[in-house]
Amino acid sequence: MRRVIESDVCIIGSGISAAMVAEKLSETGPAAIVVVEAGDESNRAAERYALRRRYLDYGETPWRNDHLDGYDVDGIQSRSMQVGGLAMHWGGVTPRFSPEDFRVRALYGVGHDWPISYDDLDPWYQDAEVRLGVAGEQGPPELDPRGAPFPQAPIPLSYNLEQLRGWTDRAGIPMWSQPSAKNSAPYRGRPACCRNDTCFPVCPIGAKYSPDHTWDPLRASGRVTLIPRTVVRRLEVEGPGSRVTRAVAVARDGGSETEFRARIFVVAAGYVWSSHLLLLSASSRYPDGLGNGSGLVGKYIGGHRNVGGFVSLPLRLFPGINEQHSLVSKKFMRVARTTRYLRHDLRVWESAAGREPRLGDSTGRLLLGDALLADWRRRAATGAARVRAYYDVIPARESAVTLDPVQRTPWNDPLPRLSLRDDPVSAELRGPSEAAIRQVFDGMARAGDGAVISTRSDSFQDHPAGGCRMGTDPRSSVTDSWGRTHDHENLFVVGAPTCVSMGCANGTLTFCALSLRSAQEIGRDFPARR
Amino acid sequence: MSTTRRRFVLGVAALVPLPFVARRLHGLAVASLDPVRLRALAAAVLPAELGAGGLERTAQAFEQWLAGYRESAELLHGYGTGEIHVTGPSPALRWAAQLDALGPSFASRTVSERQAEVRAAVGTGRFAGFPPIDRAPHLALGLLAFFYDSPEATDLCYRAAIGRNSCRPLATSARMPLPLATGR
Repeated sequence: MRRVIESDVCIIGSGISAAMVAEKLSETGPAAIVVVEAGDESNRAAERYALRRRYLDYGETPWRNDHLDGYDVDGIQSRSMQVGGLAMHWGGVTPRFSPEDFRVRALYGVGHDWPISYDDLDPWYQDAEVRLGVAGEQGPPELDPRGAPFPQAPIPLSYNLEQLRGWTDRAGIPMWSQPSAKNSAPYRGRPACCRNDTCFPVCPIGAKYSPDHTWDPLRASGRVTLIPRTVVRRLEVEGPGSRVTRAVAVARDGGSETEFRARIFVVAAGYVWSSHLLLLSASSRYPDGLGNGSGLVGKYIGGHRNVGGFVSLPLRLFPGINEQHSLVSKKFMRVARTTRYLRHDLRVWESAAGREPRLGDSTGRLLLGDALLADWRRRAATGAARVRAYYDVIPARESAVTLDPVQRTPWNDPLPRLSLRDDPVSAELRGPSEAAIRQVFDGMARAGDGAVISTRSDSFQDHPAGGCRMGTDPRSSVTDSWGRTHDHENLFVVGAPTCVSMGCANGTLTFCALSLRSAQEIGRDFPARR
Repeated sequence: MSTTRRRFVLGVAALVPLPFVARRLHGLAVASLDPVRLRALAAAVLPAELGAGGLERTAQAFEQWLAGYRESAELLHGYGTGEIHVTGPSPALRWAAQLDALGPSFASRTVSERQAEVRAAVGTGRFAGFPPIDRAPHLALGLLAFFYDSPEATDLCYRAAIGRNSCRPLATSARMPLPLATGR
């Protein structure tokens, strides 16, 4: 017998974007919010210290139940599918996009503009920063505009980062403490960071924000009902209108069907699974899937690529003081119009590159006893820095999530297939862009009387997003700026999928800000909670 | 565990590759590690600067690490990939045999003699970085990889109380780490 669950709002997915929407709605909006999650419950906070120990000692994952068997997708960034989603093991880094990210067509003649500006999103960035508890340092205002101070004082620069900031100052690059959703002081019941330095993959004390910090109180207070281990297979429109009326799901325990009925449906399943669900929801009336009148569901996915490297410096550094914290600069994000489009962020970390202990000396002879330690000390007498720049990649229309014609889920639905393609402009610029970034690294090394040890470019695109991009024109976008699909007034897509472009900095805070903005709009459909 | 018995057990393990058999064999092998010879090995390959206390702590921690090893445990899936990998077979049986092979007189030899024996045992290949601890082809290399991966080794190298991966106040991160206390 099919189980039927009714609510005002049904949110599909329980990652960080879903958590933002649910929390915001629960404060002012509808009475009944149901969240459906395909994955398992994540591990409990009390377990994390021991799980971290296993990670440090053996490399074991602290998140053993974070993915579903039978959901292997080539090219996917992470298989994370659990209550809390990928942000259960994110690094907690929360830069904003820069104003230019929203206007690359207008400013540089490439890519596509967003229907909203940085200023439009600024209040929602602030809201997200407060909810996540972002600790940040105000950068130079011309590089780092913001409408309100960070809710927490910055994570202090470590001794190593202070030395490295002296170096980047000499290189003429203003850098500051990377904003992070990590507590610099006790905040909202969570303790201050104490430099356990395993933010990724697991903070053992809860100083780093993760979505369980939102879900646990929401669930405990009964404001949200979260149903895990339940895979939504399709959304359906019944009757003559275009409103989505139900989500049909299957319980992973026993395979019984569950039907979720709601006034509003919010797809918050990330850049792959959100598009995938809309495509899976094809019917005779909507042969290309729901929300897909533009034919763009799944299209324009992408991220940013990076060039990273290591620089040796004549500095006495002590690797391990706070390895996951970094310096950041937006100097290269806020560039004027150039003949060759290139925008990138820049981050600097402490590093032990080239200074690791080694088993053999330069001739390959085995080192034992005191000789090994002496060899290490000699090479560790000076320091090193890790540098990395994410640069903006403009996705092609064909950069897409589609339905795989061969691979199927355990429920016999097509799995998603990912195919990331650069827009021709970005494809042509890839080589020169990466060369230009290497020149930046070279210049930095020279300024510090150091040398570049090595550089590399990763082929994958980080912090992927898109697939249901927002816009004002239903012919060239899937949702409006609030995430409401153009085709179905009660169907929203929130967070990463709605991004028009992916900028050149970590995207999570932007996904959260967009989700909160969507939640505000969704809440308008409901009377205020008394 | 005698060599003959170990061969028998290994033969049985090859015939019955069941997880519980592997766990049992792992436990037997860990229990059979000669603690005196292991400490003699530690004194030969680890820096003397650790002192008797540091060597003992390292040997104990290594024994605990080995005892806690789990085969086929899911590893953290790396950044930018969804591929799942698991830990490999326990190195305990292999390492116990290698420790046995160093012979009963190993512990009574000088450090330089023991180092020569270790060199002979690990072979004459070209050495560079450390192998993953559990895949170290020889116990001596596993012990070295274990120690040099530790925060204690980093502190020793820099002669500073960095305390990598330990809970330390944020406020103290801005100052240069204090010199290591003497008499470790």
